[in-house]
Amino acid sequence: LFVNPVTARAQDIADGGWMWVESMHGKVRCLCRYSEAVEPGTVWTWNAIGKARGAWRLANDANESQRGFLLNHLIADELPVDAHGQHRSNSDPITGQAGWYDVRVRISKAADDEAAESSPQFAPPARLPGTPETVREWLAYVAGNGEFK
Amino acid sequence: MTQLALVIDLNVCVGCHACVTSCKEWNTSGVAGAMSDDNPYAKDPTGTFFNRVQTFEVGAYPDTETVHFPKSCLHCEDPPCVPVCPTGASYKRPQDGIVLVDYDKCIGCKYCAWACPYGAREIDEHQQVMKKCTLCVDRIYDEALPPSERKPACVMACPTSARLFGDVHDPASNVSRAIRDSAGYALMPEWGTRPANHYLPRRRTASVTGNVAAQRADNPLAIDGAPPPAREGR
Repeated sequence: LFVNPVTARAQDIADGGWMWVESMHGKVRCLCRYSEAVEPGTVWTWNAIGKARGAWRLANDANESQRGFLLNHLIADELPVDAHGQHRSNSDPITGQAGWYDVRVRISKAADDEAAESSPQFAPPARLPGTPETVREWLAYVAGNGEFK
Repeated sequence: MTQLALVIDLNVCVGCHACVTSCKEWNTSGVAGAMSDDNPYAKDPTGTFFNRVQTFEVGAYPDTETVHFPKSCLHCEDPPCVPVCPTGASYKRPQDGIVLVDYDKCIGCKYCAWACPYGAREIDEHQQVMKKCTLCVDRIYDEALPPSERKPACVMACPTSARLFGDVHDPASNVSRAIRDSAGYALMPEWGTRPANHYLPRRRTASVTGNVAAQRADNPLAIDGAPPPAREGR
């Protein structure tokens, strides 16, 4: 999560340290990166840099699930029900694009005794039919010499 | 004499890594075989890449620049990686100036990696040969491809056309014109390597965002209390 150093230091969050980011919909533990390109009071991240444990045939300890995180846990497809009981899509009223950029969050430092992994974590999914049990640790070959390791 | 090269416009590059992935895709599928990756699906993966983009920030908010800096072999006109090679595997082609490695001769001694001041060489830990950007020599002369596609994969992929490809020795070429018009520069000329690749420098533009404009009224921190200072005390 990219945070301006002014905002991060006010919460005692270190550059490269673990932090919590929390919205009305959920909370996520993630790594903080100081950025002077972000306005104080605003945080941002890349879309979909995290993967669920075991997704995409990744190993359970892959960095994508242990150090990457998904912002989706902080946003919802609908806005809160308004005073008239109306449900409204959480999307830009003009373009219809998902409202990924306007959720209000609270940030805080993760405690030192917390696990050094992103949160939430989920049990890995079962292996899909037809996929091999093992993933190659590496792939290399020289074309044309008949060897394929 | 022809000297093929890339010219990369640092004003235009947005750091999307399309050149990195297209380079890897083309070259890992190529005649020389895969560019090996270690632990590609597990903890702390590493891999062989001919083209990498480094991103760094300059300045403090709101006067911040985010610079995306693509790096690959610069195909030097006086390449220090060539004379150090004990087997003659590392060579510069006279006809077009491309610096290449003959994998059949390379013994993986890494002398060229030590000699290259730009860190452009990539050892393939599994094939134990030194690899590097080939300027897609297996694309640019391929007559099976339409002429418009006889360019390096990275140039084809760049969505902002930040990467130009051509002959820097031809004063009328697109790359020579870009270097002349935009004050293109070579990296670390003090090494005397005369890199063929050039970069078009960032143009200084006045920031239109002053401190007042940078502090918006609906800043969430301002709603809770005093808004944060736009700059750190420095």
